[in-house]
Amino acid sequence: MVEYLYFVISLLSVLGGASLLLLLTHREGDDLYRLNHISVLFLVVALFAALMQWNLGTRGYLLEGLFGKVLYIDDFALLFDTMFITGTIMTLLINTEYFANRRYFNGEYFALILFSLFGMMLLAHSHELVTAFIALEIASLSVYALVGYHKNNLVSIEAMMKYFTLGSIGGILFLLGSVIIFAATGSTELGAIAQYTHKGSADLTPVIIGATFIMIAVMFKIGAVPFHAWVLDVYEGAPFPVTMFMASTFKIAIFAIALRLYIVDFVPMHGTWTHLLELMAALTMLGGSWLAITQKSLKRMLAGSSIVHSGYMLIAITSIGLGSNIAASAIIFYLIAYFVSSVGAFGILSFISATSRKELTYDDFKGFSERRPYMAAMMAVFMLSLAGFPSTIGFLGKFYIFTAAIESGEFFLAGLGIAMAFVSVYYYFKLIAMIYFYPNKEPQKELVFNSSTLLIILLAAVVVLGGMGSGLIPYMPSADGFIDIATAAVGALGTPLR
Amino acid sequence: MGQHLLSMIVFLPLFGALVMALGRSGLRLLRTGTLAISAVTTLLSFTLAFLFTADGSMQFVRKVPWISNYGITYYLGVDLISLVLLLVIAVLMPLLYLYMHEEKRKGFWYSMLLLQSGVSGVILSLDAILFYLFWEMMLLPVFLMIGRYGAGERSYNVMQLLLMTLLGSLTMLYAILYMGYRFYSISGHWSYAVEDLAKLRFESETDILLAAGFLLAFVIKIPLVGFHTWMAPAYGSAPTPAVVILSAVMAKLGVYGIWRFGFSLFGDTLTLYAPGIIALSLFGLLYYTLRAISQDGLREMFAFASGAHLSMITLGLLLANIYAWSGSLYFIATHAFSSAGMFLMLGLLYRRSGTFAISELGGIAQRAPKFAFFFIFFALSVAGLPGTGGFVSELLIIIGAFKSNLWIGVFAAMSMVAAVLYLFTMSRKVLFGESSEATERFDDLSPLETTILVPLVLLLLAMGIFPSLFMSIFDTQLSIMLDAFREGVA
Repeated sequence: MVEYLYFVISLLSVLGGASLLLLLTHREGDDLYRLNHISVLFLVVALFAALMQWNLGTRGYLLEGLFGKVLYIDDFALLFDTMFITGTIMTLLINTEYFANRRYFNGEYFALILFSLFGMMLLAHSHELVTAFIALEIASLSVYALVGYHKNNLVSIEAMMKYFTLGSIGGILFLLGSVIIFAATGSTELGAIAQYTHKGSADLTPVIIGATFIMIAVMFKIGAVPFHAWVLDVYEGAPFPVTMFMASTFKIAIFAIALRLYIVDFVPMHGTWTHLLELMAALTMLGGSWLAITQKSLKRMLAGSSIVHSGYMLIAITSIGLGSNIAASAIIFYLIAYFVSSVGAFGILSFISATSRKELTYDDFKGFSERRPYMAAMMAVFMLSLAGFPSTIGFLGKFYIFTAAIESGEFFLAGLGIAMAFVSVYYYFKLIAMIYFYPNKEPQKELVFNSSTLLIILLAAVVVLGGMGSGLIPYMPSADGFIDIATAAVGALGTPLR
Repeated sequence: MGQHLLSMIVFLPLFGALVMALGRSGLRLLRTGTLAISAVTTLLSFTLAFLFTADGSMQFVRKVPWISNYGITYYLGVDLISLVLLLVIAVLMPLLYLYMHEEKRKGFWYSMLLLQSGVSGVILSLDAILFYLFWEMMLLPVFLMIGRYGAGERSYNVMQLLLMTLLGSLTMLYAILYMGYRFYSISGHWSYAVEDLAKLRFESETDILLAAGFLLAFVIKIPLVGFHTWMAPAYGSAPTPAVVILSAVMAKLGVYGIWRFGFSLFGDTLTLYAPGIIALSLFGLLYYTLRAISQDGLREMFAFASGAHLSMITLGLLLANIYAWSGSLYFIATHAFSSAGMFLMLGLLYRRSGTFAISELGGIAQRAPKFAFFFIFFALSVAGLPGTGGFVSELLIIIGAFKSNLWIGVFAAMSMVAAVLYLFTMSRKVLFGESSEATERFDDLSPLETTILVPLVLLLLAMGIFPSLFMSIFDTQLSIMLDAFREGVA
């Protein structure tokens, strides 16, 4: 029993940290810096524990004696753990200045973030539908509260209500799907479901119905068109650190369970969904591009563009269904690439808006390159990566996804994806143009080295190095490394993809 | 040394720029550093030319895995065509840096260094993905230079340039991805190396689409008529060094792309497209010449003149016989020097008078005889007068045109005459007659400015008077390539 605890250190550390922070925050005027450091401390322990177990081929149920076959550990879950924890650390450290300058932040913010993280990690480890639902709700409820965190701000409240209502529908659909699957297969455990669906003789119709509900819930969470109505308003209404947390970390959380289900349990249903997924991928890319083009506020533009990125990932999901060998690792690589670039972009935005109350628009970036030359260069790097410009990690992400799409015969979707990447050049380069093309009116600011700037520099370095390889820069960790990680994580899922 | 030579030529400017940017070097250090880097790069390029043997093969090849899971390699090599372009860059860049010596905006220097790396990389890459990387990379500094340091409606013009060229690049990317996948499905391993992709054979419709993907990228970059709407505004807005690179180097890269990828990947299909492209080039000759005649802005006039000449080069390339090919390759070099010289003259003119409008100029010859001499010389070399390299190149292309079709030849020859006419008229209006408000105080060329222009003059004269020096090398290599192409088609 005790030796199994080794594998749950990271989960326990996050849960323990969250509970402790909850206890620490009953007073007015909490020392936010100290609480921030305490939470990061717990997270670093968790991250370290997750990394220690990575790529050892660990595979098995967590604490089986206690929980049965509910929680599972493998490299796939560990990769997601690592991303979630990293994303949370980034969110906390990059925004140090942001919440120090806002009166409405107090200690429970950290507890909520950590609970949400715990929910996401639980989701990555869950091997049973009801557990997954509970995990999803733990994560979501914390995020609902975080979105409405600015209690006196009507926009923030509106965003929370919208997100809460629509998000609950998503959650309910997930539960409904699980119930139907349970009715059909007699189990909610993923292994048992997989056995049932792969048997061949069974009637799959009820399972398909249930699974479709679950997939719709997933679409809700990633903001795929036509379930995207909440995205822009919620991203805009939430405080910046929360938007950053949602766009980068929380957005990929749902993939942890969705991919596990889709790649392993729902394989026989792939054919049924192909056309639906194709349509949704196309709509999501088109709709997201339309939304992103028309925005003036950067938060809304990034929200719209995050829908487009969901669309690219839907292409890869379609390709998995058509039997592509490389699509599954492509999607995970894309998640990493999107994660790094968007954390960086949101990080810079919230870093800038830390001391001002204004909503950031394109125009606010005029003359930015002279005001803060290094920050400007890094913002340009993140924009290039999001646009998929070569020599950044974003390009390789798109390269893998489109290659996978072509491999599985989705020529039209690949073409549409490339066309939408072309459109995205417009709204990303518009920001670069604002940064570089206009003279500066305010005095230049020195680059201060603190946790925020160092982490942003680190992210920019990852974006560039992840897009280049060992061939161009000898003796450096190459772009190959990331795709190897992605392949290893997919390999851990075990079941043949075809 | 040998195997790293190309990498050094490509990456020295980039690394220099990075080191100087991170070291927050001051303006003087930046200037000296840039000059030193470009001098070294130029020396390396000349060393390369000296060690190069013209036997039709790829030389100084360097191929190492880059993204090994997908068989993408870091793959550089040089043959005669890329060598010519590389030498053009090697000659032009130091001159441009000298021209820029009073430039105080640091970003401009960094952009130029980045641009030099980008264009060199495009010329030397033999892996399609690497080629695509550099192809996009060279766009960034141009985007910054025009948008940040340009004139007029710069944001709008540069966005137009960016979106149009990216549209072409992305169709090319799609074609590259598809070909890579097909290679994988046939051979079982991934590769994007040009010679591997060249082995692929497709159904004819697919081939036509793929070739279209590549060609769109190239004809927009050249630009052929119909794909040219970005050209005049961008040339008009760009600062002088950027215009020089756009016209002298980047436009040629479109032609180079057809040469490197069009001919080797789509031999058969390209002959299907050839009549269309030839027609476009011929129409371009006419159209661009007419547009050039009707311009009042000198920048725009020479933008269209440049477009006409690039149409001529494309024409020669697509005619695919030995005269036309030698002419095209020769024209790539001579046009680079003459248009670089001309745009530099315009830059100097603007520094003195503050205008590009022909109607506001006049009477320069009395005040600045040296300036007038160089101005006339470059205008004549652009027009392709005997004694300059341009004449030899155009003549060769026209001979090649007559060889394939009488009317194409007649048409091409006519356009040459028209160019002479409008260039003479323009020179007369700008240099002679009454001096205007703008040219009241017009200083003659300083010694430094003369130093920048003299090498170009000498080169153009040398190439015009002793073409046989170069032609003997061109002939052997080009006939080998031509044979290979004809074999591929047959």
